[in-house]
Order: sequence, then structure tokens, then C-alpha cells
Amino acid sequence: MQDLQLVMHGIAVKKYATVDEICSITGLQSDTVKELVGHAVARGRASEANGKYLLTPTGQITLKSAYSKTYGSLRRDEEFVATYQDFERINNDLKQAITEWQTIGIGGQTVANDHSDEAYDSAVIDRIGDIHERVEIILERLGNQEPRLNRYSKKLLSALEKAEDGDIRWVSDATMESYHTVWFELHEDLLRIMGREREEF
Amino acid sequence: MAATPLHGKWLLALDGSNLPEKSLIGGKGWSIAHMLRQGLPVPPAFVITTEACAAYLETGELPAELDDQLQAAMQWLEEQTGRTYGCGHSPLLVSVRSGAAISMPGMMDTVLNLGINAETMQAFAVESGDDKFARDTYRRFHELYGEIVLRVTVPELGENENLSEWRARIEKAAGQAVPEAPTEQLKATIEAVFRSWTSRRAKRYRKHHGIPDDLGTAVTVQAMVFGNLDQNSGTGVLFSRNPLTGEPVPYGEYLRCAQGEDVVSGKYTPGHLDDMKTAAPDAYKTLIHAAQTLESTNREVQDIEFTVQQGKLYFLQSRTAKRSPAAAVRIAVDMYREGTIGIEDAIRRVNPDQVRSILSPRLGEGVSNGATVLASGLGVSHGIGVGKVVSDADEAERRAHDGEDVVLATATTSPDDVHGMLVARAVITEQGGSTSHAAVVGRALGLPSVVGCGIGTVTSLHGQTVTVDGENGKIYAGALEVVTPCETEDDRLAELLSWAREHSPLTVYRPDEAPRDTLDLESNDDAADPANLPALIKGARGARGGAIASEQGVKAALQAGLEYIVAEPTLPALLAAIHAGGTPEPSPSIEND
Repeated sequence: MQDLQLVMHGIAVKKYATVDEICSITGLQSDTVKELVGHAVARGRASEANGKYLLTPTGQITLKSAYSKTYGSLRRDEEFVATYQDFERINNDLKQAITEWQTIGIGGQTVANDHSDEAYDSAVIDRIGDIHERVEIILERLGNQEPRLNRYSKKLLSALEKAEDGDIRWVSDATMESYHTVWFELHEDLLRIMGREREEF
Repeated sequence: MAATPLHGKWLLALDGSNLPEKSLIGGKGWSIAHMLRQGLPVPPAFVITTEACAAYLETGELPAELDDQLQAAMQWLEEQTGRTYGCGHSPLLVSVRSGAAISMPGMMDTVLNLGINAETMQAFAVESGDDKFARDTYRRFHELYGEIVLRVTVPELGENENLSEWRARIEKAAGQAVPEAPTEQLKATIEAVFRSWTSRRAKRYRKHHGIPDDLGTAVTVQAMVFGNLDQNSGTGVLFSRNPLTGEPVPYGEYLRCAQGEDVVSGKYTPGHLDDMKTAAPDAYKTLIHAAQTLESTNREVQDIEFTVQQGKLYFLQSRTAKRSPAAAVRIAVDMYREGTIGIEDAIRRVNPDQVRSILSPRLGEGVSNGATVLASGLGVSHGIGVGKVVSDADEAERRAHDGEDVVLATATTSPDDVHGMLVARAVITEQGGSTSHAAVVGRALGLPSVVGCGIGTVTSLHGQTVTVDGENGKIYAGALEVVTPCETEDDRLAELLSWAREHSPLTVYRPDEAPRDTLDLESNDDAADPANLPALIKGARGARGGAIASEQGVKAALQAGLEYIVAEPTLPALLAAIHAGGTPEPSPSIEND
């Protein structure tokens, strides 16, 4: 994708993004991003509120057609599609692990995890570590064909290591680039590459 | 003891004859040995020692003598169980677990069902009379071996897919095959356990905690037992007391002719323990008796997983039971009254959050009876939220900023709704289940949340005032009466309160008891952040307001040498002061999973 499309893609993944967040997700320099969001706003592709950017409906449509052009061949690539499906499978494991992080079973009933049991919490973080080792392999394969995706490996590992070191907000806190936040964005990114919709059930 | 193939440097059979060092056989092996010493029936097992791990890490190969010892040990398992590994009418299957003296992350997960291949699967199908189960056992082994030993995402097995084609797909994904020969399965899994000692997470953890790199991990090999062989078999979970209410009666579930994962998966509804009394009376008697013994030895409520194989009871795991906040209070006070634990222990077994949860606002008695239910879904984050329904996150933020109580109602939520969730009293969605974005974020924020109410059900409530119950998943019309329970209403809570008052290093007054010269932080915005408290309370006799009653606030008060603080309720702050006051003895835990 061209840089302008990439910036719009960054906004789309975040939905409501600051310049810093767009830089973090696209790997572009801050000056470039500032210039390009300016273009996007001027052309009616994005709008700005309180320093955060949002795609306009026109922007959404433009971006969709950019995806089809850029990723058309990947969407037909058997190996890429199979690897993407591996990701969808492991995505279920991660969702399960995050649910276990937030809830705890007591005698057959589910209650909120109050994080008073360190052993329980460490075991879940360890499971996320297991999942991470498997997703790394998947990301490496996806990254061979779309190098942009390599960024997620580092971001995931960085969140995981902070959680492993005891700052448990890095597991699923929605207000920071926690493991779950980054994973969610990675999933969103892949869905856009593949031209698919998220399934919630 | 003289070195024999079953009691050597590299390998030790766990036959209850002695209790080897944890540093040699690891935590998991040790807890099996410990259970055997207590006379509890445990599936037979042996351990490959940490010494063998050290040798493997040094040379990159398993010690040469281990081969013969492994063979002897497998023979011993066969004699113990009356089954045969890798052949015969009653095939023996085993599990392989990692286990260092200190448990740490990054160590290999358990691989189950080693010993299954095309041949033993057939025998197993005949023996259990259940083709589907035999196929399932085969599938589970391949999935675990693939994911844990070969570290590959195993492709899904189609319902009617040919098994050898599936094996070929795994081989293609992994670049190597899952071994067909049971001995190969065993050796490769043992090596994988040893290798996991040097995984990124394990190395990092050891460095962080100053644990020597040459400690090594042991490997526990244990016979699998099956609860699905006939009607005299089954599986279940037993708590030595009710973990939801704390009532001192055994509580549990039992499922006839089933495997452990059937109970956990929720695929089947397990029966009452009484069903076990009828189906396997001897096993039942042994179980109840052993649960009491384990509880009094450990002075803690036990959570026991067990399997009955053809009438014989096996303990799989026993550990300290997790409990609801209400049960935590009842059990702590009851165990003191029974003379099992002292007052200090009883107080330390209840934490401030549990008491806050018990005393958190709830719907008044009976008020929901006459109330109109506007929508209902899955309650995924408990608590009561009252406010005006708003169907857009930006609007929620704006109106909350103007001081209005809002409830955010959307079809689903995504990261761009988080700013609205942060200010809402509750969140309700139309689509999604317990792992949906709204559920995950709602729980992370401690926000009452109900998800999956159905398309068109909640966004149409825009503008109405509602009461959301995040526990039962109901959305009521109007603002219902919310009550806050009182800490002296319940007799056990009141008793705990009187003990806490006696033992706390800090006095905690209720607002109506507070001395007149108390430093009032209520109107000081900075006091909401506990980090600012030390500077603010310096030199004061006592303080109220701000974050002073939080755990960090109590710590700051103790450090600043305050005589008292003021809080409502007082018990969470008293407990926080006691928990902060001294370092508790680490409670002995039997780790065995």
C-alpha cells in the first residue's frame, strides 16, 4: 500500500487514532504521518476531533478498494489463507485465555477474577506465553508475505514481558497497548487484509 | 536403598516406600509421593530425575543407562495396572508432565494419552465399547503432542476424516511426524520436557528470581486412568466444603461413565454426588473420608479431582479450594470455631476485596419482583448500574462529563467505544458472548456488563432510565432501589470485624465515631491518587476521605504513623492494615496438576 493508504489503514485498525498511535501501528515517522493525515482530512477521507482521527464513509470505501487491489493476490494465495486460518484457530485459544484471566470458576460458577491469587494469574500468563510461542511462528509465516505484520510480534512480546514481570495491566487493559489490545488490532488488520468480517459469538 | 532399575540416579518409581527430595523429583512428583504417603490411592507413576535433565542439557542426549531403566519402569507400571504399553487387549496409556522443584512459567505442558496408535486405538475401542471415545483419545494425543512437543498449530480433524490423512497433514505442518511407536512417543516427549527448561520464559523467570540455571526439571510419567470404561466408572470433583456458600458439607459433581474433560467442557450436565453413592458406594466412602483427612491435615478446604475406574477410586489432584467471597468469610470463621485454625490465620484468609464485594451495593430485597424486565442477556461482569441509556460512545462521554449517569447500549463494542465505557455506569450489548469485546473490557474496567441481549433489544432503549444487573443479566425499567449491606448485619462478618479491630495496627473509625480534629481530604482532588497521600497526611493524627481507605492509602497511613483513619465500611481497611502490617507465613500448597 502507498503511505497515504497505510495511514488510513492505521486509523481504521485503531478506529479512533492519535498521530502517535498511527505511527506505532504503521511504523511510519511522525512527520510523515502528520503530513498524510492532513491530506486525508483535506480530501474528505478522514476527520479530526480532539487530536484523534476517524475515517469518513468515503475514506472507508476508498480504503476497501485499496485492500482489494493490494491484497487480491494474497487472498487467493493458498498458503497465506491456510496460515490465516491457523491464526483464527489460535485466536479462539487466546480469547479463552483472556476470559480465564478475567473470570475464575468457583464450584461450577463463574465469578470475576479479583487477581488475589497470584498462582492462578501466573498460570494464565504462562498459557498466554504458550499461545505466544505458537502465534510467533504463524506471524513469521504471514510476515514473509506481508512484512508489515512483523511489527505485531515485537509489540506482543513487549506487552507479554511486562506482564510476566508483574505488571498485570499489560494482559488485557483496554486503555493501553496490552497483549489483548495489540492482538485485537492484529486480528482487525488480518480481517481487513482478507476482506472478512469479525464473527462475534 | 540400593540402586536398582526402579531406584537409581536417573529414575525413581513412586511406590510410597520413601519421600525423595523435591530437588530430585520436582514438585509434581513430590506431591504424588506425598499423597501416597498419606495412603491416598493415586494412579501409579515414576519420575525421571533432575539429574537426568542435567546430563541431557550437558550432552544433548538422554543418559545411555536410562533406556533400560525406562523399560523396567514401564514394565512396573504394566504390573501395577494390569495393562500393557503399546499392545494387547487392555492398552496402558500414560501422561508426561514437567516439574521442577520450583514451579516456573515456560515449562512444558502435560501430554496425555501416550501409547495410543492405530493398533491400540482399536483395542481401546473394543475394551470401552466406544469407538468415538477411542478416536477422541487418539485425536487428543496427536493435538497435544503436535502443539506441545512439535510446537505447531495442529489442523482440525474433520468429523469423518481418515486418521492417517490427518496424521499426514500434521506431518506437513510440523515438518516431522508424530511417532507411531509408543516408546518413541515417550522418549521424544521426555526430551521435550528437558528442552523446555531452556525456553525463553523459563530462562527469563530464573534470571528475574535468582534461581540457578542448573537446577533442572524432572519428568513425571503416570498411568492414565479412565472413568468411561463401564457404569462402575466415572469422574468428578469434590470440595470438602461448599465453595459458594461455605457450608461445612462436602460438595461436588459426579458423571458416570465419563472422562474428566467431559465434566470441565460443560458438554454433559454432571449428576449429584448422591449418584456416585449408588453407582460406586465403596469409592464414595473412601472419597468422603479422604477429603476430611486432607482438609484437617492441610487445615484448608480441599478441591479434589478424582476418577473411578471399574469401581476403584483414584485421586488425580488435591489443592486448596478457591471460594466465593461469602464462603471465604464463613469458612475462616467456622474453622476458627472448630478449633482448626487460630484467629490470626482466620483473619488472613479473608482479603479486603472479598469483603468489599460482599458489602457492595445490590438490588434491594424483592425489588426486582415487580420490576419490568426490558431486556436480558448474559451477565458477564457483576454489579448494579443505574443510568440513562445512550447508544453512542461519544454521546456517553459528553453526557457523563456533564454529570449525568449513563448506561452505554450498543450492538457490539469495539476499541473505539472504550472512551464511552470508561464513563458509563454499565454497558449492555445486543450481540456477543462471554469472550466478546464488551465482556472482556467490561470486566477489565469492573463495569457491570450484560451482553448478547438480542438484535434490536437494547439500542431501542435510548433515552430511558434503566437498572442493569451484571450478575443475572437483566435490564430493568427505571431506577430500582439499591441497598448497601452493613458490615455488622451478618454474625460471622461481625465476629471477623471484632477480631480485626483487636489485631489491626491501625484504628479505623466509622464516620460518626471520628474525632473532631481529623484531617479531611474529601475536598482535595489530589488525595484521590494514593501516590500523593504521604505528602498530604504528614504530621496528621488521623485522616478521612480521598484514597485513604484503599489498600495503598492504609499503607501510607501506617508509614506516616497515623493513629487512625475514618472509613465506611471499616472492615476492608482493617484487613488491609493487618495484611500490610506483617508478612504472612506462606501457606503450604500441594501443587499437583
